[in-house]
Amino acid sequence: MNAIAFTAVSKSYGGVLAVDGLDLEVPAGSTVALLGPNGAGKSTSINMLLGLLKPTSGDIRVFGATPHEAVARGEVGAMLQEGTLIPELTVAETVDFIRRLYPEPLPLAEILRLADLTDLAGRRADRLSGGQTQRVRFALAIAGAPRLLLLDEPTAAMDVESRRAFWDNMRSYASQGRTILFATHYLEEADENSDRVVVVARGRVVADGTAAEIKASVAGHAVSFRLGGQSMAGLDALPGATGVEVQGGRVTLRTSDPDATIEALYRKTTLDVRDLQVHGADLEDAFIALTKEI
Amino acid sequence: MPHYLKVELLRMARNKRYVIFVVAFPVAFYLLYSNLWGSQVDSTTGVRASVILMVSMGAYGALAASMMSTAVPWSQERHSGWLRQLQITPLPRWSIIVVKLVASLLLVLPALLLVGLAAVLTQHVSLTAGEWVALILTMWAGTIPFAALGLTIGSLLPPDTAQPVAMIGMFGLALLGGLWFPVEIMPSAMRSIAQVLPSYDYANVGWRIVAGQAPRAGEVAGLLAWTAGLGALALIAYRRATVRD
Repeated sequence: MNAIAFTAVSKSYGGVLAVDGLDLEVPAGSTVALLGPNGAGKSTSINMLLGLLKPTSGDIRVFGATPHEAVARGEVGAMLQEGTLIPELTVAETVDFIRRLYPEPLPLAEILRLADLTDLAGRRADRLSGGQTQRVRFALAIAGAPRLLLLDEPTAAMDVESRRAFWDNMRSYASQGRTILFATHYLEEADENSDRVVVVARGRVVADGTAAEIKASVAGHAVSFRLGGQSMAGLDALPGATGVEVQGGRVTLRTSDPDATIEALYRKTTLDVRDLQVHGADLEDAFIALTKEI
Repeated sequence: MPHYLKVELLRMARNKRYVIFVVAFPVAFYLLYSNLWGSQVDSTTGVRASVILMVSMGAYGALAASMMSTAVPWSQERHSGWLRQLQITPLPRWSIIVVKLVASLLLVLPALLLVGLAAVLTQHVSLTAGEWVALILTMWAGTIPFAALGLTIGSLLPPDTAQPVAMIGMFGLALLGGLWFPVEIMPSAMRSIAQVLPSYDYANVGWRIVAGQAPRAGEVAGLLAWTAGLGALALIAYRRATVRD
C-alpha cells in the first residue's frame, strides 16, 4: 500500500507555479528524501500532504484517504520548518498535551527517550536552546505514533553534533516500520538517511532512485585537460562523451565511460593532451546537473 | 479537550503579566480606593462607595482577564506556528476557539472572586445570598463579549499590533465604561460614547444588583446585543484565521 500518492498535483500562488504536475508514490515503510534547492516546491508539497494547503489541481492520497482524513485519524505527524512552543509550558507538559490529541499515542517516557529529552522533561520551553527546541518539535511529530512522519528541513537550525544525533533518532523511529518523508537541500543527508532520493526542481520530479542510481544517471564521470589554443572539434564524438565544456583554456568532457574516452583521446585525435584529470561524479555534481535552470 | 483546557489555564497562571494586571491590580486598586473613599454614600441609592467600587474593580479585573487571556496569546500562537502544530493533529478545527472561550471564562473568576473577598474582609461589605449569586453570575457571563473581542483581535492582528490594540481596547472600555470614574462626571460627548459601550452596560447591571434594583431592560439588551455582535465577529475572524488554502 502506498503511504503517499501524488497524482498530477499542481499548486500555484497568484500565478506562480510552486508545484508543477507532481507525480510521486511512496510505499509504506520506506524512508524517502525529497531533495531540492530552495523554492523547488518541497515545503509546498509537505504542506499539501498535511492538508494545510489545497492543491490547485490533481489528487493527493495519504494511506488511501484525503490528507485531511489522514490527519484527523492521527496517521500523520510532522515537523514543519518553523514553529515555536508555548513558552510557559515545560517539555513534558507540551509533549503530553500533543500526544493526548492522538488516538493511540506512544507512551510519554518513550517519546522523551526517542527525542533525547528525558533530562529536559521539566524545563520550560522558553529556557531551551535552539537545538533543544528542535528536539521537542521532533518529539511532537512522533508523539501520536504516526504511520507517516514528514520532516521539512528538520536539521536546518542544528550544529553538526545535533544533526548526527537527530538522524540517529529518526532512524530508530523509522526502524519500527514507519514511513518517513523528509525534505532537505543537504545532499549528504539525503544520501545517508534514506532508501530513496527524489530530486525535485521547479516543482517537478527530476530524478528518482537510490543515491547511487542518481549519481549514475547523470553522466558519471568527467575528464579534463588543458586544451590551450587547440580546436575542440570532434571531442563530443569521442566514445562515452556526453558533453563538452571549455573554461579558461581547459576542457571538461562529461563521460559515461572514462576509460574509453581517454583511450580514444590519445589514439584517435592528434591533440596535445596536457595535465589530464579524471573526476568521479559525486552526488553534488549530480544534484547540480539535475536542478540546473534550463 | 479537558486536558487542552487544563493546559491553557496552566500557562496563563504562569504568565506574570496576567497575574499582575488581572489579578493583583484590581485587588490592589480596590484596597486603595476603598480606603480613600469607601465610606462615602451614593445619595440616590444609599449604597456605600466600598460596594460600588467592588463592582467597578471586579468588572475591570474581569474585563482585563477576558481580553488579556485571549487577544495576545492567540495572536502569538497563530504567528509562531503553534496553530499549525495543532492543525496537523487530530484536534477538531473548532476546538481551539471553544477552549479559549471556556478558559477565558475560568480565568476571569480569580479577579471577580478576589475583589469580592477583599470587599468582604476589609470593608465588611454584605449582600444577601441572592444578590451575591446574581452579581457573580451576571458579572461572570457578562465577560463573553470581551472575550469575543479579544479573540477577534487575536485572529485578525499580528502580535505586535494585537498587543497595543488589546491594551487600548481594554483600558478604553474600562475608562469610558465608567469603571475608573463615574460616567456622570465626564463631558457630555464622552458620556454619549460611554453609554453605548458594552463595558458601561456590563458595570451598570452590577451596580443595579448591589443597589437592590433589577437591571434595566436597555442595559441587558445592550449587553446581549454586544455579545451577539462580537460573538459573530469572533467566529468569522476565527474562520478566516484558521482557513486552509
